[in-house]
Amino acid sequence: MSKETNRVLGHADEADGIEEYDNPLPDWWLGLLWFTVIWAFGYGVWYHFISDRSQEGKLAAEMQAAELRWPEQAMAEVSFAITPEAVAAGEGIYVQNCLMCHGGDLEGGIGVALNDDEWIHGGEPEDVIRIINEGVPEKGMLTWGPILGPEKVNQVAAYVLSKNAELVGE
Amino acid sequence: MSAATAAPGRIVVDYDDDIVRKFFLATVIWGVVGMLVGVIIALQLAWWPANLGLPWTTFGRLRPLHTNAVIFAFAGNICFTGIYHSMQRLLKTRMWSDTLSKIHFWGWQLIIVSAAITYPLGITQSREYAELIWPIDVAVTLIWVVFAINFFGTLAIRKVKHIYVAIWFYMSFVITIAVLHIVNNLAMPATFLRSYPIYSGMTDALVQWWYGHNAVWFFLTTPFLGLMYYYLPKAADRPIYSYRLSIIHFWGLIFLYIWAGPHHLLYSGLPDWAQTLGMVFSIMLLAPSWGGMLNGLLTLKGAWHKLRTDPILKFMVVGVTFYGMSTFEGPMMSIRSVNGLAHFTNWVVGHVHSGALGWNGMLTFAVLYWLLPRLWNREVAYPKMVTQHFWLATIGIVIYTVAMWAAGLMEGLQWRAVNDAGQLANPIFIDIVHRLEPFYWLRLLGGTLYFVGAVMMLINVFKTIRGPERVAAAAPATAPAS
Repeated sequence: MSKETNRVLGHADEADGIEEYDNPLPDWWLGLLWFTVIWAFGYGVWYHFISDRSQEGKLAAEMQAAELRWPEQAMAEVSFAITPEAVAAGEGIYVQNCLMCHGGDLEGGIGVALNDDEWIHGGEPEDVIRIINEGVPEKGMLTWGPILGPEKVNQVAAYVLSKNAELVGE
Repeated sequence: MSAATAAPGRIVVDYDDDIVRKFFLATVIWGVVGMLVGVIIALQLAWWPANLGLPWTTFGRLRPLHTNAVIFAFAGNICFTGIYHSMQRLLKTRMWSDTLSKIHFWGWQLIIVSAAITYPLGITQSREYAELIWPIDVAVTLIWVVFAINFFGTLAIRKVKHIYVAIWFYMSFVITIAVLHIVNNLAMPATFLRSYPIYSGMTDALVQWWYGHNAVWFFLTTPFLGLMYYYLPKAADRPIYSYRLSIIHFWGLIFLYIWAGPHHLLYSGLPDWAQTLGMVFSIMLLAPSWGGMLNGLLTLKGAWHKLRTDPILKFMVVGVTFYGMSTFEGPMMSIRSVNGLAHFTNWVVGHVHSGALGWNGMLTFAVLYWLLPRLWNREVAYPKMVTQHFWLATIGIVIYTVAMWAAGLMEGLQWRAVNDAGQLANPIFIDIVHRLEPFYWLRLLGGTLYFVGAVMMLINVFKTIRGPERVAAAAPATAPAS
């Protein structure tokens, strides 16, 4: 900043009395400007041409890293079956998470009734599993898939289907 | 003014200060209204029953009312106040047409009133910062053209050759806002209240954020830099630090800014190359943005002692400092990885308000307090209240910004946190919302302090203009006879 001259330009009469100095640009400011310009070009070339990045590529890399870290999740093809063990485990999950809306005897309340043979979104096991996984956000039902995980979703589906069959009386 | 005399070879210029006083009062009144709505919606976020269970008073409808009132009514009117006041003096001529000035003033206020009616009724076109429906958009265009004709007409009849830097900033404001407003609002009307944009999908999003981001710049920054270049040297009674810097940073901003919009659409369906463009142009904006801050702060060199006693300079210094801070924060937030954390969180709200409350608000207050005794030729009724306003506003901004930074970082980190089993650590969204409540209360506190300061200004202004006129009249303004 020692280059300051504080030389007045002499425009004041044409700027309502405001004087202007003709000081040079501060070196660090000019340095910052050039640094960002060079960085901007460097980054663009690096991102697109040298390391060939993209947001799809980034997602794929993240998914791959996740599969390596949690291999059992990656092949989470959990089999579905209505077994007494699955139903018992499912009942516990139901009481903890689902009862508040769907009722203690599947009679419904905030959520729809599950004790009849009317299935709004389909009554096959894959339909029930899908609805638990994805939820019905527009009606206020949460997407339980990421909360419970595939095994617990299957167990609670097993409980709901077996209890429903019992109540409808097939 | 007919009795006024000028030295030989000079003529008396009779400036139109009536229009300046009109815009001045509109700024003060709309400022208080806009900030009050801000306080109300801040309360609604902290305590939902404040939505009152009525459709007209819910957050979703009042939020655009708040943003439009503070941007287009409060900030808009101060730009017009400062432009009509300073451009006449800088160009040594009265406005080209008093009639156009009046049409501009009443038209603009009518547009604000129509916004204040339509938004609570839910009548909007759902484009952020461009919610006005098409008939009002047409009115905005017409009024803007009226302003532009008057502006360039005045420039054409100027009595000076050199065009001072403030006028360059004003020019970019007049031209670019017209372009942004028209292009973003191109739509096919279906009924009187409804229309469909001519763009669709990603193109529509890109146009919207090209507009949205440049509105922040060409409405809230270029005209305000123009105001700074006039009122800061006037208030400090110091020469501008560097003419060269003012020219370089002006053209740097004009060239770079218009490309930065895509940084609002990082990690979206926008092609990667366009995202990169938005990001790198935002980074390159850092130095040109700081040029304005440097020129402001370095102009005060040799006048720092005045800061202890002059609340107007206090407002200006804090305003310019917040400008520097938020123009540093902006480029940082547009870096892909930082944006991945910050996007959609309250950090963005904090960033916007450090600019709006810190830069626009503080500079506006400075200009208003500087103009108040001069426009009405009266002493400020409560001089101590000006300093009190300064402290309330400054403390309010700090509380507000810190609360939103903390809230935003917390949200951003909790949204992405994963537990040992590879599942979301916070799968239930509403849990995180509940954890924001303490920060929302803090934000309400900061915003309320800021609002109370503005109310004090309103009281001070109305008390002042009802007070006794100064005995000595100001010397008439003169210009060289052409």
